Amino acid sequence: MATRAPLIQRTAIPGLGLSAGITLFMLSLVVILPIGALLAKGASFGAAGIWEVVNRPRTWAALWLSFRLSFLAALFNLVFGVILAWVLVRYRFPGKRIIDAAVDLPFALPTAVAGIALTALYAPNGVLGSLAGEIGWKIAYTQWGIWLALVFVGLPFVTRTVQPVIEEIESEVEEASATLGASRAHTMRHVILPMLMPAALTGFALSLARAVGEYGSVIFIAGNIPLRTEIAPLLIVIQLEEYNYNAAAAIGIAMLVISFAMLLAINLIQIWSRRRIGHV
Amino acid sequence: MHIDIDEIAKEFGATTALHPVSLAIPSGALVALLGPSGSGKTTLLRILGGLEFPTSGRVLFNGQDATGMTVQERRAGLVFQSYALFRHMTVFENIAYGLRARPRAARPNKAEIDRRVLKLLDLIQLPHIGDRYPTQLSGGQRQRVALARALAIEPRMLLLDEPFGALDAKVRKELRQGLRDIHDETGLTTVFVTHDQEEAMELADLVVVMSMGRIEQIGKPQDIRAKPATEFVREFIAA
Amino acid sequence: MSDAALNLHRTAHPGKRRFRSATEESAPARIALILIAVGGLLLLVGAPLVAVFAEALVRGWGAAVQSLQSRDAQAAIRLTLLITAIAVPMNAIFGIAAAWFITKFDFRGKAFLITLIDLPFSVSPVVAGLCIVLLFGANSAMGAWLVANGFPIVFAVPGIVLATVFVTFPFVARELIPVMIEQGRSEEEAALTLGASGWRVFRTVTLPNIRWALLYGTLLCTARAMGEFGAVAVVSGKIRGQTATMPITIEMFYNEYLSVAAFSMAALLTGFALLTLMLKTVLELRHADQLAATRRH
Repeated sequence: MATRAPLIQRTAIPGLGLSAGITLFMLSLVVILPIGALLAKGASFGAAGIWEVVNRPRTWAALWLSFRLSFLAALFNLVFGVILAWVLVRYRFPGKRIIDAAVDLPFALPTAVAGIALTALYAPNGVLGSLAGEIGWKIAYTQWGIWLALVFVGLPFVTRTVQPVIEEIESEVEEASATLGASRAHTMRHVILPMLMPAALTGFALSLARAVGEYGSVIFIAGNIPLRTEIAPLLIVIQLEEYNYNAAAAIGIAMLVISFAMLLAINLIQIWSRRRIGHV
Repeated sequence: MHIDIDEIAKEFGATTALHPVSLAIPSGALVALLGPSGSGKTTLLRILGGLEFPTSGRVLFNGQDATGMTVQERRAGLVFQSYALFRHMTVFENIAYGLRARPRAARPNKAEIDRRVLKLLDLIQLPHIGDRYPTQLSGGQRQRVALARALAIEPRMLLLDEPFGALDAKVRKELRQGLRDIHDETGLTTVFVTHDQEEAMELADLVVVMSMGRIEQIGKPQDIRAKPATEFVREFIAA
Repeated sequence: MSDAALNLHRTAHPGKRRFRSATEESAPARIALILIAVGGLLLLVGAPLVAVFAEALVRGWGAAVQSLQSRDAQAAIRLTLLITAIAVPMNAIFGIAAAWFITKFDFRGKAFLITLIDLPFSVSPVVAGLCIVLLFGANSAMGAWLVANGFPIVFAVPGIVLATVFVTFPFVARELIPVMIEQGRSEEEAALTLGASGWRVFRTVTLPNIRWALLYGTLLCTARAMGEFGAVAVVSGKIRGQTATMPITIEMFYNEYLSVAAFSMAALLTGFALLTLMLKTVLELRHADQLAATRRH
């Protein structure tokens, strides 16, 4: 019989109405209605209206800056995160447990706190900023500073997605590679890294998505000079402070589109990796 | 209590778990629902217990329509396939759960609960394990605790889903006799699900052979062996 | 560092000859990787952590403590506690309800519902704030009506609560859902057949099984709720003494060159973040089996 599945299968477990009610009410109030309001605002002045705002040099510059630096920060985190995950799973060394816990600090530390702390360190008169200044390297109030803040907030993602995968690698696979005459480096490159890649890419995408939307840790260290060190989320805040709701909404929609694209990418990576290796 | 299953059908979305099936279970019988996986036997058991609801048809307990009765009202002592013991409670607390869950007016006092739980522990021949947690028990002990927990609510019938499925061969034989003894002692109408034809034949008064959501044959073990009604039954009991 | 501390071999027996296992890197490679990992983490995470406390105490304990006693600082602390006390229970209740709905029932569109619940993690906090302003701000129909009836949301506490709930939305639910899927439905069904009511089943069977996961999710939710900046910056209007939360007040102090005050408040939040990490680590060590299988965020 080709009847469609009923919307909800009846069971003996109680609480359907209550749990569904709370879930859908909260979801509507907190997520669906507000995002719907943004989309409705965008629809009210149409694609051409949105494009008119996005196409301004200052908007382009901000979006491009946010995306480019986020990509570069996520790339750093990809490499560093895999190394960190490997070291934390495979090696024993003093203080490992603390290091492992410290990986999550960027998740736990409020972004504003991270922002002023990084600025204090890397400003020209800061401890590390003055060191860098001696070789003529300016970090705070340049794109380097933004990159650094984005590295900080995205740091845990790759490590935390890759760690469980390393834990699950069966040593037989490595041993097999060694018995076939492969050097350790060869095994690393051709056996282990490919196994870690799907998880690492998921972490990369999560780190990228987080960085593109990041605000609090960046604005203190960025300098916020239009066209040079002004990130897209800041531009939204500036537009709102000037009561340019339409412009703010247009940039917001552009960012929402970027977020959805990355969400889609993450899901595709996971589907692809599940098909290839059977796990994420 | 006698149970009548009257033209029960069950669909899960596009798949049909039970074509209309009918079955009369006499009071005090020990009945096996026998069939391969996907034959609908567990679904039928869960419908009797009130955990699933039929798409159509009726269930009658002692001639009274019980189709819409809630799971709590049915008082069916149900033993789950993996026992579903509450892992954060001791064996004692597991067995006492149903008594403590009763509304205040019907709840026995503490001394009475203690007495009944200890009596049940004696019945399953594990008098000293009340303080242990389910993870500290062997598979056979867990099964007997699950049985005691189901009996504690003074059930109107006993329903068991693959009660011996998770056990090794030796323990299985012992516990078969244990179930037979408990059935004979309590006189409860008992229905158990199994895919093991030897188990069904040896233990049950009445065997119901099922396949693909249909009942193939109902009969006493020796009758089914002597005269299999369909080709499926012949092959299944020969296996 | 002692000799033992430098003992990097996994199968080291003093006095025995050491052979390198086929599944190990060479010692120099191992040491190099450890140095990169530990050094990088110290520089990227350790240094900012030290900087917060160093800057807060640059003029001594007295100055730091005193800066936290100003009226603005006190108001900010009270407001942040209030927001957290409202937003976190809202999220916990939502998380429990959503996890129950999703794991105890079969219905169409479940995957889509889970995606919607996860959505706030992919949206920039600033965009989240913007969405709330567009829906409830004075320039929208609903917002104007609410303001006219004396219940403003944007630039007021309800807006901050909404923004906080938005950015922390998935924390509890996504921690509970995998745990409850793994535990299945049969314990709840067993309790029902024994005559327990729905509430009793939840209280005596489900809750004990999910309590560590619930605590874990709530902990992460609390940390984020206290520290949220971007979304709150947009909806709060940053009214001193009224809608300025602790992170917003940090920004205000910092922009006014009240460095000690800014970093003292930052140190307070950092202390809380460290406490969160400690509790989180303890939970992971003690109750790993009762938390969501992997530590993904």
